[in-house]
Amino acid sequence: MLNDVKIAGGAMTPFNRRKDGSSFRDWSRTAVSGALKDASLEPRDIDMLVVASESDFFTLQLNPAALLADECGLFGVAAQRAEGGGASGHVAFHAGVAALAGGMAKRVLVLGVEPSASHLKGADVGALYALSFDAWTDGMTGVDATSLYALSAQMFMQRTGAKHADFAQIAVRNRQNAGLNPYAHLPLDVSIDDVVSSTLVAAPYHRLDCSPLSDGAAALILARAKDLPQNGQTRASVKGLGNSTDRVRLGERSDPGYFAGKREASRRAFSMAGVEVTDIGLAEVYDSYSGAQLQALEALGLVEDVVAAERSGMFAADGAMPVNLSGGLLGQGAPVGATGVAQVIAAALQLEGRYWGLRPAKAARFALVDTHGGIATLNTVSILEAP
Amino acid sequence: MKQSITLDYTLPEGCLQPHFEALRRGEALASKCGACGHVAFPARVLCADCGSDALGWVTLPGTARVSCRTGGAEKGVALVRFDGADAMSTVALKNPEIAGETGKLSVPENSEAGLWLLLDTVTAKGDGNV
Ligand SMILES: [Zn+2]
Repeated sequence: MLNDVKIAGGAMTPFNRRKDGSSFRDWSRTAVSGALKDASLEPRDIDMLVVASESDFFTLQLNPAALLADECGLFGVAAQRAEGGGASGHVAFHAGVAALAGGMAKRVLVLGVEPSASHLKGADVGALYALSFDAWTDGMTGVDATSLYALSAQMFMQRTGAKHADFAQIAVRNRQNAGLNPYAHLPLDVSIDDVVSSTLVAAPYHRLDCSPLSDGAAALILARAKDLPQNGQTRASVKGLGNSTDRVRLGERSDPGYFAGKREASRRAFSMAGVEVTDIGLAEVYDSYSGAQLQALEALGLVEDVVAAERSGMFAADGAMPVNLSGGLLGQGAPVGATGVAQVIAAALQLEGRYWGLRPAKAARFALVDTHGGIATLNTVSILEAP
Repeated sequence: MKQSITLDYTLPEGCLQPHFEALRRGEALASKCGACGHVAFPARVLCADCGSDALGWVTLPGTARVSCRTGGAEKGVALVRFDGADAMSTVALKNPEIAGETGKLSVPENSEAGLWLLLDTVTAKGDGNV
């Protein structure tokens, strides 16, 4: 299906809470120029820009794709903005691949950016995030993201026997993984006790089980091999894409603890890639909450018994399938529009053997990237292949 | 630079207006599928089960049983099943300090949106509700 689409280059800014007075326009320029340099391309080589930004409420900038094309020196490119809640960055990546596959562009720059931390007060961001669910029945009632994730996690725990200690282990490990990532928001050395003794937000979730609000940008460039310097032979390829939605209202799902939409997105991505689950050597998975990482790994179909696999160390850097070596959202951070783009960059650079952070014990040939919006309501999965 | 915007929305409720008007009176007006009989609360514009748009209205008693809940004493959110409904609903708890397992739909304060549940106070014996 996909023929030779390469991730030609990528770059990101640090993900953190900006206190240096820099703006999301500055971060965008930094990420775009970094991606161009990494791909050995010039701004004039780019003919399409896809911008991922979850909400105008964060940037206070409508029509951001046109503005950022202008600010980043991509004059005259075709431009659009892609959005899918928390999956916006990954949705933009899919839109870029689709434009290439459909012959609409030759070299696409995908830019994700979000000032999720510094522009608004945390409570205001929380109120906006709550509108990611059925706003009329949930968000406006004050039913917030953490509560919905907590209810879903409780149902998952009831069915699988997972304990909060399993979740806390993920909260610890992803922060430790982030320790080698120079762009990470929370490269923390914390213990399970630290997680358990952090403030209880919504049972089973404590403060350290939750991903942070971050500022930042990430950019990558997509092109066919023939349109790249040296035919992009040192760059990872896009093998399969899958996207699927689930029922928006948590209560209407047959099992509110199971990410059924993610299961389908994964199945579609594997089907397009023509590879087996056992071919996947590492994964970047959407860990907006510690337990959500386990729920995601279950739904992606990567293992039979996800709780046993977690306890066996399978998802650690020296395990059979390292997960979130970047630190994930919990450790690297989550500037929403940039999140999915950064996940793809991390997976691609790992496959190319040039990742800047923690690397797997064993080189992988295929990597899986997973992102979602809502509570696994809009699910986006990609499978990449090493050069 | 500093920028502050106050946005005052008016949101027409469309086909679901009877449902939301009932909620503001504290009544549980559900949608019922004319094709397969599936009862949805909160109401839907299309049947969640078979996709039919031949929906009518049915009034539920408004009583519900809690499946799981989260939050603290100040704020609580629960997944509950309203009696007569075929799926669960997320509700905000009006009295989250109560540990009850059943409750009744409650009129939201200040015409707020969504479903609010008032938990029943369990008797000292723990075998009934008052
Ligand atoms: Zn029906």
